[in-house]
Amino acid sequence: MNLDYLWSGFAVALSAQNLLIGLIGAFIGTMVGALPAIGPINGIALLLPIAYTMGLPPESTMILLAAVYCGAEYGGRISSILLNVPGDAGAVMTAMDGNPMARQGRAGEALMLSGIASFAGGMIGATGLALFAPLLASIAIGFGPAEYFVLMVFAFATLGSMVGSAPAKTLIGCVLGLMLATVGLDATSGAYRFTFNEPELGDGIEFVVLVIGLFSISEALLILENQTKGHTVIREMGRMLARWSDIVKITGATLRGSIIGFVVGVLPGTGASVSSSVSYTTEKRISNSHDTFGKGDVRGLAAPESANNATACGAFVPMLTLGVPGSGTTAVMLGALMLYNIQPGPMLIAERPEIVGGLIASLFIGNILLLVLNLPLVNIFARILTLPNWILVPGILTLSVVGVYSTHSSIFSVILMLGIGMVGWLLRKGGFDMAPIILGFVLGRVMEVNLRNALAISGGDIGILFQSKISLILWAMAIGIAFVPVLLARRAKKRRIAAEQVEQSA
Amino acid sequence: MSHLSTHPRRTGLIGAACLLLLALAYGIGGSTITYAFASDPLGPRVFPVILAIALAVLCIFYARTPGDAEEFPRGLTMVRIMAIPVTLIVFCLLMETIGFPIMVFCIVTIISALFGASFVLSAIGGVIQAALWWFIFSYLLEVYLPVGSLFG
Repeated sequence: MNLDYLWSGFAVALSAQNLLIGLIGAFIGTMVGALPAIGPINGIALLLPIAYTMGLPPESTMILLAAVYCGAEYGGRISSILLNVPGDAGAVMTAMDGNPMARQGRAGEALMLSGIASFAGGMIGATGLALFAPLLASIAIGFGPAEYFVLMVFAFATLGSMVGSAPAKTLIGCVLGLMLATVGLDATSGAYRFTFNEPELGDGIEFVVLVIGLFSISEALLILENQTKGHTVIREMGRMLARWSDIVKITGATLRGSIIGFVVGVLPGTGASVSSSVSYTTEKRISNSHDTFGKGDVRGLAAPESANNATACGAFVPMLTLGVPGSGTTAVMLGALMLYNIQPGPMLIAERPEIVGGLIASLFIGNILLLVLNLPLVNIFARILTLPNWILVPGILTLSVVGVYSTHSSIFSVILMLGIGMVGWLLRKGGFDMAPIILGFVLGRVMEVNLRNALAISGGDIGILFQSKISLILWAMAIGIAFVPVLLARRAKKRRIAAEQVEQSA
Repeated sequence: MSHLSTHPRRTGLIGAACLLLLALAYGIGGSTITYAFASDPLGPRVFPVILAIALAVLCIFYARTPGDAEEFPRGLTMVRIMAIPVTLIVFCLLMETIGFPIMVFCIVTIISALFGASFVLSAIGGVIQAALWWFIFSYLLEVYLPVGSLFG
């Protein structure tokens, strides 16, 4: 396997400027993750216009955003453990055993053990990314437009099947994103679609406008609504060093969590929230012989924490090699690359090794920086939890407005962002997830272009979508992933009913 | 609004109806796109029409199994929530006139107060944030930010 791109990536990531950018990103990311108000997507969305305005080269922007992403996965555990409120979606399961540990006066140990699990997850994930990315890229080189179209159908099927409580709502989110992507000039026919004669919509809805509106603005409205619900920060840290016996005890859980996390991350669209819950339930099934899970078991803490960090790395595999993001946050990062007119795909490693290699190398370096930052500075990060909303939220809103204005110098964009934010709030109240909309949006144009190119090749014959072996495998996987969970749930329900009937008759 | 809250099913039905209307409008809009030429068999109309149909079909499933939905706020909470976008829209529209620093001061002061801070603290926060963001964006990042036509 040729890993030259990785070695040249280390040269990029170890330059003084990129090291500093990585360190700043790791610090900001941990803060962003720790604050329950803002998750990794918000942090990246708000930093994106700043990075773009600063004129950073694409590899440095990617290093910054990746550091924020991984940092947020580290930081999320702090509020889960001390506040019992997850700092981001990936840290929901960390609270299950982390908060009981903190209540038992073992907050310091919980933070250190979860820090170690996060580090292991991040390093295993980054290794997996370095090894699998070239492999997947070499397979994907054989993809034509038809295969790409089916790949995107597969991505949406995975998303619908694995994310959210109602698959229809997740898929509606995807379709809404695809619809938003059709706004603007259609390059092949020169037609303006859904622009309502507004010249500023001619180039389509700007990515920064959509992502900041959907995440930051709607989040601010939700925070105001929920701010009366108070939570108590646990301040009693106890001993800060973990026991050696506990570190040994979490080894198995951490390894399993990391592998599950990486595999889930590679699946298109499924992020840390899925992997952490899958790894927690798996670990519970394997290790919960004494019914200690949910009461402060260190393995219940390590499994989801290692998984969510491994997922963050795994999610880069499909994003960098296929152009299909592995999670909501990597969807935003894909959008960031598109701002630089870079379309990720199987040729990216060969054509822009500094971006792919630099990014992967920065994940290794970033994880070491994060461990070093997180172990001694955890008290400082914990103090951030007490930052009042009346300082934080106006700051987020002002940064949103000025971020969009600085990228486009247009009041129209700012107003559009606010409108999108209100729609986002309505959708979130209705139980819709925002990540599928972003995923639909970043894939929209590519999906349509590939469908049209495929049909142009076949002269309009739709059979081209079912011709190649790769397409057929992808169709089978899409159908399998969409329907197998439904069939399994039905079977389980039937069995349960049958068991209840047997019990009643007995 | 308040009736929406107690029944996720009712929220689902209203949501599905709104989305169905969107699908209809988008489908009609998509099928009537005018274009001079098309270099591919599909053209610019078909993809939007496929999306409109997909959305309409998904709305049926959504209405049948609406999943979780949160309660919609009522009364004063709703007014306070709506005050955020209204404040932002009004002052953003005034940005070119009153200038960026005063816009930020007004936005931060009003929104801090909405979050329960006292007027004095809100105003102090407003001054600090106006100075901070102006310094970061105008000086460090060299972004053009309007000073305001009121001040020449």
